[in-house]
Amino acid sequence: MTYYHAEITRIKQICYANKGQIDTVIETRRYITKHFDEAISLELLSHKQFTSKFHLLRLFKKYYGQTPQQYLADRRIEKAKEFLSTGLSVTAVCFNIGFESPASFCTFFKARVGVNPAEFRKRAILTKSE
Amino acid sequence: MKVSIISIPVKDQEKALQFYTEKLGFLKKVDVPLSEHSRWLTLVSKEEQDGPEILLEPAPNHFEPARIYQNALFEAGIPYTQFNVENVQQEYERLLGLGVEFSITPTEMGTVKIAVFNDTCGNHIQLVQML
Repeated sequence: MTYYHAEITRIKQICYANKGQIDTVIETRRYITKHFDEAISLELLSHKQFTSKFHLLRLFKKYYGQTPQQYLADRRIEKAKEFLSTGLSVTAVCFNIGFESPASFCTFFKARVGVNPAEFRKRAILTKSE
Repeated sequence: MKVSIISIPVKDQEKALQFYTEKLGFLKKVDVPLSEHSRWLTLVSKEEQDGPEILLEPAPNHFEPARIYQNALFEAGIPYTQFNVENVQQEYERLLGLGVEFSITPTEMGTVKIAVFNDTCGNHIQLVQML
């Protein structure tokens, strides 16, 4: 057994012994991954897992290093890029990823990706046609 | 600042190019001769061709401390870097079928599943799937 393998085994016993907690956060992440286009609140997520909002928030952050809202934002950006690359309009993508206003979607996208969605779409389509 | 390149030290650039493209499925992006025996050789993920590039750099052949560091990591089984995949088990089976050697078979570590393979160019590389 290598040093790395031994370390993994040791860390697993120390950090990942609580299967109940791990199952809770994995289920929560899976729910967000699948329902990224819906209105997702911490209240809804905690209700699904029969736990309190703050407990779920703490657990999610403990195991994933980010909050459920931050993960949702990542997931929406990933899907927005995917949809824009297929040529869907900015407005359609906005609603497809669960945003209610194109203006707030454009601001959010630009802040995260560095270019606005229209520009991203244009570049993605150009790259594809090259 | 942006992250556009991550470098991986390799003992043989040509062999690495073959392994990373033919077995792992990356695509060659830039290949420029730098000197007699070195190239600026980068690859991208097939699914994310405008994403970060991997630089296969021949540092272990030209800089002794780099070679010592790479060998020490390898002997300890420590991955030099890691790649994300959708399904570690499937990727493990696919690579195993191509003759790739694994030092760690698919293992759950809390909220991730990992596996570690030998890239045949001096490194262990970890595959990661978020659960």
